[in-house]
Amino acid sequence: MKYLHLIWRSLLRSRRRTLLTVLSLGVSVFLVATLQSILGTLDGFAHNPDSANRMVVRHKTSITNVLPFRYGDWLRQQPEVEAVMGLQWFGGIYQDQRNFFANFAVEPEYLVPMFKEEVRGVTEAQVRDFVRDRTGCVVGQALADKFGWKLGTVVPLQGTIFPFTPRLTIRAIFRGKRTADEMALYFPYKHLEESIPRMKGKVGTFWVRVRSADDVPRLIERIDHHFSDALEPTYSETENAFQLEFLKMLGDYATMIHTITAAVLAAILIVTASTMAMTIRERTTEIAVFRAMGFTGRQVLGLLMAEGVLLSAMGGLAGIGLALVTAGAVRGNIGTSIPWLSDFQLQPATLLFCLQATLAVGVLSTFIPAYQAVRRPIVEGLRSL
Amino acid sequence: MEAIITCRGIAKSYYRGALEIPVLQGLDLEIPRGGYYALMGPSGSGKTTLLNLIAGIDRPTGGSLEVCGYQLNDLDDDELAGWRALHMGFIFQNYNLVPVLSAFENVELPLLLTTMGRRERRERVMEALGLVNLLDRTGNYPRQLSGGQEQRVAIARAIVTEPEILVADEPTGALDAKNAEEVMALLEHLNQALGKTILLVTHDPKAAHHARVQIHLEKGVLEKTIEVNRPGPA
Repeated sequence: MKYLHLIWRSLLRSRRRTLLTVLSLGVSVFLVATLQSILGTLDGFAHNPDSANRMVVRHKTSITNVLPFRYGDWLRQQPEVEAVMGLQWFGGIYQDQRNFFANFAVEPEYLVPMFKEEVRGVTEAQVRDFVRDRTGCVVGQALADKFGWKLGTVVPLQGTIFPFTPRLTIRAIFRGKRTADEMALYFPYKHLEESIPRMKGKVGTFWVRVRSADDVPRLIERIDHHFSDALEPTYSETENAFQLEFLKMLGDYATMIHTITAAVLAAILIVTASTMAMTIRERTTEIAVFRAMGFTGRQVLGLLMAEGVLLSAMGGLAGIGLALVTAGAVRGNIGTSIPWLSDFQLQPATLLFCLQATLAVGVLSTFIPAYQAVRRPIVEGLRSL
Repeated sequence: MEAIITCRGIAKSYYRGALEIPVLQGLDLEIPRGGYYALMGPSGSGKTTLLNLIAGIDRPTGGSLEVCGYQLNDLDDDELAGWRALHMGFIFQNYNLVPVLSAFENVELPLLLTTMGRRERRERVMEALGLVNLLDRTGNYPRQLSGGQEQRVAIARAIVTEPEILVADEPTGALDAKNAEEVMALLEHLNQALGKTILLVTHDPKAAHHARVQIHLEKGVLEKTIEVNRPGPA
């Protein structure tokens, strides 16, 4: 503790250089913390515990191929199945392309039983209205808040996949566990089917809720085996696996984020190493004087290392602070175009990783110049004025 | 009088590639406790090298060196560092104060190596700064001090651990005549009043005149020893 004052003062020797180094470290750590947390948030969708007993059945060829609606009847007869719901991604736009949100055509009577965890807070009467009204819809609270919608508001959705523009009346507004769950709109499948002749008796996917998650693998095998010789064979997978496939449409974001993280860490290592090498080289004589006074090589090495680690820690904490402050902005801005990120949060594990990484940068960047400095003979150091 | 520094056949060579450059060649020297010695000679005569060897910041390539009862050849680097902290005070030509520390903090530095508590350290620092007459400059940083004041802070730093020996390499080399005289008077006081053994390297005959004994080196060998006729212990 008695050396802390000395370390701190040494760090402030060149305030501008220290400030610039802390800032560059801070911005880099902010970038790493935010990107890694985005990765963690996206991964959360592919590892959602609420989805453990849900699975998705789609066409074996691709997600754009459709299945006969009658497959749903066979699926409902399976003893492990609790609920089955036909679901079609509609991909409609509200007013402007920037107002992106998820919207689906579904079998309305199965919506709540299927998504018990995600669609909550709607009354039986509202569900009844939704089931009866083919031009009705239900929306999440976050989505309603975003556009100022209320019960009874008519929402025109311009189709991008299907050439029609349904005008949907809001019959219920639900609450979900996560904001991302509330950023969705569901309308009756019949409305789509009636408006688009090629979709008559066809649907993109079946969502299947199984009584026990343990039964999912067996059921997947049975379904795909049953339809293997059909004209439209199926491909079944867990909801988490399906989400992961959807996320992959964003590109190989995980590799991209990990690559950026590695590049940023390498850059801050070089920046800190350069700063520490410069600050230690400038103090060659001072280091020799310390050693002449009786400080051992290990003690001087410890002081210099502590200085490097403190510098990195300051940068790391500044970056984490910046990331915490801007997390809301990520949710509010990026979250509106990538709905998965509307629940963006800085992950504690990521923050810990950032702190550990910056401390490692401090140690690695300081050790070599500090070790070289204390290995230098004292008389040489005193001469180098 | 008991010798505090005993050099027997001290030799030191530097190497430039395979070429050996001898700096000290089998030098014998005894300095008594409480002595005030000035090492003189032309550049390259080996006076600073001898000072560095005696101060334990360099190692001889031959001979033996006993200082304050320790055979320095027998001590490893860490032991030697501990020995310097206890027995040696350094005064440099360019003061070598830490620019980001105040006068008080600079003087306190060597005490950080001891087990002293904060209060005791403070007392010792104030005592040392009092001896060099700088109690009104404790909070000043080196850039806020004159050259003479900086050197007095450096002297306070050298004596704060109460070492037996003070080594000074051209302590007046960067000072004007008035400040140089003040610093030399201060060293003389430390020798006479506190009994510190002082070993001084200087080119300046005026500064050397403050010493009791002048040792002249020439090409790494002891050329002559001159006793200065002044009152006090030799």
